[in-house]
Amino acid sequence: MFRIAVRMLLGDKSKYLSLVLGLSFAALLIAQQGAIFLGLMQRATGPLQNVGQPDFWVADPKTRYVGEVRPLSESDLLRVRSIPGVAWAEPFYAARALCELPDTSFKTVQLFGIDRTTFIGQPPMMIAGSIEDLRMPDAVIIEESAIPKLGGVGIGDTLRLNDQRAVVVGICRATSGFESNALVFTTFQNALRYVPQPRNSITFILVKSKDGADKAQVAAAIDAIPTLKAFTGEELVARNTEFIIVETGIGINFGITVMLGFIVGVIVSASIFYQFTVENLRNFAVLKAVGARSRLLIGMILLQAFLVAIVGFGIGVGLAGVFSWGARRPGAELAAYFPWPLLIISFFAMLFCVGAGSVLSLRRVLTLEPAVVFK
Amino acid sequence: MTLAPAASPVPSAARRVVAVHLDNVHKSFGAGKIAVHAIRGVSMKVHGGEFVMLVGPSGCGKTTLVSIISGVLDADSGKAEVFGVDWRSLSRDGQTIRRGEYIGFVFQQFNLISTVTALENTAVPLLIRGVNRGEALDRAAECLKLVGLGERTRALPSQLSGGMQQRVAIARALVGRPRVLICDEPTAALDARTGQQVIELIKSGTRELTGGAQDRCVIVVTHDNRIFHYADRIEEMEDGKIKERPSDLVMEESRRVHDYTLDPPDEPAPK
Ligand SMILES: Nc1ncnc2c1ncn2[C@@H]1O[C@H](COP(=O)(O)OP(=O)(O)OP(=O)(O)O)[C@@H](O)[C@H]1O
Ligand SMILES: [Mg+2]
Repeated sequence: MFRIAVRMLLGDKSKYLSLVLGLSFAALLIAQQGAIFLGLMQRATGPLQNVGQPDFWVADPKTRYVGEVRPLSESDLLRVRSIPGVAWAEPFYAARALCELPDTSFKTVQLFGIDRTTFIGQPPMMIAGSIEDLRMPDAVIIEESAIPKLGGVGIGDTLRLNDQRAVVVGICRATSGFESNALVFTTFQNALRYVPQPRNSITFILVKSKDGADKAQVAAAIDAIPTLKAFTGEELVARNTEFIIVETGIGINFGITVMLGFIVGVIVSASIFYQFTVENLRNFAVLKAVGARSRLLIGMILLQAFLVAIVGFGIGVGLAGVFSWGARRPGAELAAYFPWPLLIISFFAMLFCVGAGSVLSLRRVLTLEPAVVFK
Repeated sequence: MTLAPAASPVPSAARRVVAVHLDNVHKSFGAGKIAVHAIRGVSMKVHGGEFVMLVGPSGCGKTTLVSIISGVLDADSGKAEVFGVDWRSLSRDGQTIRRGEYIGFVFQQFNLISTVTALENTAVPLLIRGVNRGEALDRAAECLKLVGLGERTRALPSQLSGGMQQRVAIARALVGRPRVLICDEPTAALDARTGQQVIELIKSGTRELTGGAQDRCVIVVTHDNRIFHYADRIEEMEDGKIKERPSDLVMEESRRVHDYTLDPPDEPAPK
């Protein structure tokens, strides 16, 4: 009978097509909204996206957002370095600077200062030039999507950052932050020269624990210093995301959009599937009359629901995937991030949608009087 | 395949099993002012081996009565037994299972699943009972051969003419070897000659499948007087009741043998 259930589903091509298209649209809506939301959240983590090496990001315990930090002092750095189990601890500096362009216009850039010997915190990928060139005087490396923003500069060109000379020595690839400012990498000392700090100057201390050292112990030792806390990358991302959701309008605005996508998805797919069952009501009545028990009918309807859910999900998520793949082109202003948990979540969302539809369908079919077969 | 001659002599009723037993059955639809009292105290017996026709004007309650006999509709009061079991003594699922085992249906509207082949449509009652697919399809193919559609097993209902679709429906009704075959206006959607073939098939098909055993019966609802003469017995309904004896007009029609076999052959199937 399950083959017949499948035949009922696939037999009428146009009905099946509209069913699957409707569901794909719903799945696309759910996955797409989710991906964009996550993409924005990820962008909002700024430098966290581009710096992969450290085990810990050390910052003030009250830190909630990467764009809002209380700077740390030299002595904090020394205290972290002195903790047993710490392989290295390097300063990382993030600030904004004003860049004067040759055509007299200007642009705010996001400046990152990294240690000039170890290059800890360096951009993930160099496209032109070498990271070592950063040791040259006034050297900066710019991110490729920043080139047009900075008036088409190239290697060897000179910029003015906060009225001081900066020479482009390399081009890198990295993900830009929330504000989509141009990213500029330089050494820690240079960065401080471009954007001086009155007292404390370190934005984050990047820490790697020794091979074989207990990371939890290292973190605990850092946390024991009252003004410091060791965050793993994930912890910082979580805090950051929470901050954005709670403190900015983005959480509520986007939450509403995602919810709307979800609700529309549920309504569309549930009603389409319900409609499909209603059109087959006479068939179900005949099956009931000739001896099909509720259990069998439930099985048939759930099978049909599951099949369209899978096909609709596949197409919808495929489209959402293509979309976010397009968004991952370097320099794309579109933020979309499609990690596998989102895949699973949207799959269950899809099942929920069709499940809601099949509950309605089941109610209708199970309460159906078989006597209608004579009508 | 042998086609049945007109009404055959019926052995004395007393010696045969009672297949269907109705006793003072009532059924109303709706409540209050708009209530329709569709069945008003019907009592009747149908014995094994009988081919009974239920006739009467539109709206007199024929469909309602066979719905109650076949267990798709519960009576409000009275007894409605098939082979000694009252439908109302069973649970919903119990009724469904018993319908699957005891009752075969042929409807005016054929009621085939449009997206499934003739063969699978025919096999549905067996598949529902859990007969394995191979065996179910084999038996369905046999039944389709019996109704003269051995060559069209792979066809979809839409590729068959109305008469052929009704023959598929008959094959589906017979495949499970039901003890009671219920047909509601089986010829109403068909032209005269096709209708005659269909009623002959119902009669001969049942006999063929049961090997002439006297433990099965057929109840045909119709107001097609041209097929009255196929009945062993005619019951006439009027206003929710069964008349003590059919009117003279009905009896006269039942003795008139219409023969359409000289008409042009079977209607062509649509492309
Ligand atoms: N589900 C229902 N709800 C309300 N009234 C109904 C229902 N089914 C039948 N009736 C009414 O019950 C009466 C008997 O109907 P039924 O269908 O049994 O008649 P019938 O003899 O089969 O008529 P026909 O020859 O037109 O098929 C009619 O008055 C009809 O309107
Ligand atoms: Mg009727």
